[in-house]
Amino acid sequence: MIRHAVIAIAAWLCLTCSVLAQTAPTSALTFPGLSGRVVDDAGLLSVAERDALTRSLAALEAKTTDQLVVVTLKTLQGRPIEDYGYQLGRAWGIGQKDKDSGALLIVAAGERKVRIEVGYGLEGTLTDAATKIIIEDTILPRFKAGDFSGGIKAGTAAIAQLLAGDAATTRASPQGSVPAERRHSASMPLWLVIVLGLAGVGMLIVCTVMGGRGPCSFIMQILFLMVLSGRGGSSQGRSSSFSGGGGSFGGGGSSGSW
Amino acid sequence: MRARTSGITAPAQRAHVLLLLFPLLALLLSGCGFNSIPTYEEAAKAKWSDVLNQYQRRTDLIPNLVETVKGFAKQESSVLEAVTAARAQATSIKVDASTITDPATFKKFQDAQSQLSGSLGRLLAISESYPTLKSNQNFLALQSQLEGTENRIAVARRDYIEAVRLYNTELKTFPGSVWAAVFYRGNKPMEEFSIADSAKTVPPVKF
Repeated sequence: MIRHAVIAIAAWLCLTCSVLAQTAPTSALTFPGLSGRVVDDAGLLSVAERDALTRSLAALEAKTTDQLVVVTLKTLQGRPIEDYGYQLGRAWGIGQKDKDSGALLIVAAGERKVRIEVGYGLEGTLTDAATKIIIEDTILPRFKAGDFSGGIKAGTAAIAQLLAGDAATTRASPQGSVPAERRHSASMPLWLVIVLGLAGVGMLIVCTVMGGRGPCSFIMQILFLMVLSGRGGSSQGRSSSFSGGGGSFGGGGSSGSW
Repeated sequence: MRARTSGITAPAQRAHVLLLLFPLLALLLSGCGFNSIPTYEEAAKAKWSDVLNQYQRRTDLIPNLVETVKGFAKQESSVLEAVTAARAQATSIKVDASTITDPATFKKFQDAQSQLSGSLGRLLAISESYPTLKSNQNFLALQSQLEGTENRIAVARRDYIEAVRLYNTELKTFPGSVWAAVFYRGNKPMEEFSIADSAKTVPPVKF
């Protein structure tokens, strides 16, 4: 009996550990939801302008697989735009996961700041100097004149032109384009679930043979719970037609203010 | 349902159970964080090499920047020399993956880099008073690259601090502390950057 109790407690501890280890660290910042390729939180664009932008950004992704997202914010929550920007890009996972090919055009209306945030994989194309020139020469003059939608449109076009130009020159080695759908980023990989499932079926057979007594049925319950907790994380459906590919950001790009 | 199959003997049953328990044990072990220490260690080392890369990138930008500023503001030789000297000082410290568990070298590295940050800040501050320099295309490009690199350094440092925090916590807390005491005795806690980087604030320019 005591041995069974010890085994039970140890197993329970281990299960708790594995569940605890899966809880993600929480960020102090709150981000708007990724409602599409254009997230107009500050309300700087009309519906028609937003739709037109969304179409051109979708065309860019179809052509280059690079994900460019335009976001306007009411507030940066007291953070520098450089700090906010890369965390937003990471939280949304913009860009293909294996290429980190994402970029954000961020307009912070409250702080009068604009930033082009560049994912790791695009830093060679959208260099700091190139993004600075786009901001200073294309975006800021229009923003200073109060023409926000014009500045956003022209800035997006300039970024898209750079990305498309780069894609044209590197098209020599065609790689299979990665679909933009979110992959199994869930807590437990598929093979583990299969292994657990098989182990569970095996235990079921053995336990039936043995008569279902002792630690056997207990271990079965644990296996069952583990499989359940593993599936639970991955069953979230996608709410919108657009989602980030899982790309990451490292602070590339540049900023300006008007 | 409970009908016992008479064909299977007791030792054979035990062997079956052991066979099934083995993968279960492996799963439970990894669930217990047996792999956490090496995993976090490798993650922190990768973040450290990111930090080194970004600092190296800054180091590479400096000679060009100094030359460009020299062309427009020769009289600022003391500031230019300070930057060059700080760069030489920073590059003279040999750093690699082992530096993160070596507090003395780590501190030297951090001090030298923040010294360099300070003198670079002064250099960029004085450039404000030279209109021809400020409007020079080459200088503008270098300036934006330097700003971007400083920002990347900040991000890389924060990522590194986070990775080290995970690793150090794992070493000190249950169940990682048990594994550390039994299997990973050689693993030492890693050094963190001090966030309060006073040398990073640019001193006011006096005229």
